[in-house]
Amino acid sequence: MGLDIRIPLGLVFLIIGGIMALFGLYTHGDAALYQRSLGIDINLVWGGLMFAFGAIMFFLGKRHKAPEDAPDTHNSAPSARPRH
Amino acid sequence: MHVAPIPAILLLATTQLTHLAPVDLAILLLYFAMVIFIGFYVKGSTNTSEQFFLAGREMSAWIAGLSFVSANLGSLELMGWAGAAYQYGILATHWYWIGAIPAMLFLGIVMMPFYYISKTHSVPGYLQLRFGEGARAVSGVSFAFMTVLMSGVNMYSMALVMKVVLGWDINFSVWVGAVTVALYVMLGGLRSAIINEVLQFVLIWAGAALIPILGLIEAGGWTNLKAQIAVRMGSSDYMHLWSTLGSFKDNPMGVHWTGIVFGLGFVIAFGYWTTDFLVVQRVLSANNLRSARMAPIIGSAFKMFVPFFVILPGLLALVLLKDSSGHLMQLYPDGSDMVLHHGAHSFNEVLPLMMIRYLGPGLLGLGITALIAGFMSGMAGNVSAFSTVWTYDLYGAYINKKAPDAHYVSMGRWSTIVGMLISVGTAYLVMGAASIMDYVQELFSFFIAPLFGTVILGMLWKRASKAGGFWGLLAGTASSIFMWLMVLHDKANIRFMILQPHASADTILRVQAMAANLYRAAWSWLVCVLVTVVVSYCTRPTPESQLTGLVYGSTIIPDDGSTKIYEKPIFWAIVVATVLFALNLWLW
Repeated sequence: MGLDIRIPLGLVFLIIGGIMALFGLYTHGDAALYQRSLGIDINLVWGGLMFAFGAIMFFLGKRHKAPEDAPDTHNSAPSARPRH
Repeated sequence: MHVAPIPAILLLATTQLTHLAPVDLAILLLYFAMVIFIGFYVKGSTNTSEQFFLAGREMSAWIAGLSFVSANLGSLELMGWAGAAYQYGILATHWYWIGAIPAMLFLGIVMMPFYYISKTHSVPGYLQLRFGEGARAVSGVSFAFMTVLMSGVNMYSMALVMKVVLGWDINFSVWVGAVTVALYVMLGGLRSAIINEVLQFVLIWAGAALIPILGLIEAGGWTNLKAQIAVRMGSSDYMHLWSTLGSFKDNPMGVHWTGIVFGLGFVIAFGYWTTDFLVVQRVLSANNLRSARMAPIIGSAFKMFVPFFVILPGLLALVLLKDSSGHLMQLYPDGSDMVLHHGAHSFNEVLPLMMIRYLGPGLLGLGITALIAGFMSGMAGNVSAFSTVWTYDLYGAYINKKAPDAHYVSMGRWSTIVGMLISVGTAYLVMGAASIMDYVQELFSFFIAPLFGTVILGMLWKRASKAGGFWGLLAGTASSIFMWLMVLHDKANIRFMILQPHASADTILRVQAMAANLYRAAWSWLVCVLVTVVVSYCTRPTPESQLTGLVYGSTIIPDDGSTKIYEKPIFWAIVVATVLFALNLWLW
């Protein structure tokens, strides 16, 4: 279908998770900021988990996509008209 | 589905609850960039009508399944049901379990082969093949009308939430949401909508999962939470799924188990999950029969865990949500004096309030992104289904039957824009008169229950004739409207619907609108089925040759290619059903 869904999904999680983890690292030890999340540096923890999930998705998608990039030898299905 | 009303009263709020930090804005902007990018990326592969309206029928079971459940997971619903959990307790979970899972499994195991083999492009399309043009016209017109209205309601709700939570201008939110969704659906059709729905689904989980996790940590675990709720509410009724349903008076919702099992679990759930084209369209995009059967089963497994981040936050709020002075916060019904004149928050604000309670800069951006993603997936689901039904079942069937394929694709793109503009119009209409929102949601329920009666008889009963299908659908819908007007005129008339003509005033008062809907659905379904059966026996049967591929008994279901036990849809359906049964037993 041209776009393995795991690639955009992985990218979004890599970038958002990365931003959150970096922000968590930068603000690590700021007790006031993490008072709401029960004192846990939740940006670092959750951002890190999201980053790892994104990396797995992205690489799975890339690995699967590589063989598909070869020239397509199959005929695509004929276009279908609406069945009225 | 089963959307609980969002407070129109929110409109009166004057102060925002929080604001976004730069890191939150960066996350939000990134999300918008990605959804639009996906629209442009897949545009090149949506050149035929099959590609534009049915995503080329090449989606895997996982993608179709996640999209199937995501198209339903609008934020309007997330917020409404979190509020319902605060108000009625764990009973709200029924709308996610018995009110969804059995119907999804039934769609995958029994109904999907007929939808898929008939090669229909839509549910009204199936009705045309089975019952003729009359049934298609009734179902197509009502569905197209309702989807754009629902999309408008969704849009307005999003704008309202953004205004209350972040102080954003309502016009800004309406137009940014509408333009973004219209752009990616117009460019990439159902394919783009589906890819974005999967992305939005995972983002919703990532953004919402932390609230129940942190809440459970603070409450000291599940057992402690139950004990604290029992102390706060003065009874343990809020934490039982079934044991309080023996009488209308014993539970906070004023509902009886017959309403939950037959009205919700059978008629409403089966009606929505098996005949609402918005969700069925996602499964029709599957790449083969096995994927089409597996998709609803995969969707049901994910659906089973949605209460974790919808219902649980509502329950946690009962004992953990505190005001600025450290006292437990009390939420009130929409429109109540406390909300209107004393600045109190309403039930339906519970999810944003819990979000603000636990999420600081960084995570708040993710949480807000999850809410917006939910709204957008709901809008995209409505508008893509509208463009398909308009193009195939109305324009292509009655206005221009013999146009080239490219013309229908072009019509699909234009109808996406027009559908979105009508939705924007609806959003402004609702803004002017908020009660319209409740009416639109009620209207939706008029059509779903009778439609299920017509489709299920069409699929399982060969003798159902064309006239029977048409008149059954019409009579069922009319009876639903009649019952609604009856209760609108005098709430005491509910006693006839719950088969308790001598019910006390107290019992009638306890039956909430939500519970009344269950009985109305059950009766309108019954009317539809009875009229269909009677008219069918009075009219000529449809010749057997015309029923091939459409009806059980006249159709040879092809082998779906699964050989090993773990490849078979029925195996996974039994696994999901067993887990569902165990969960209900646990929370009995």
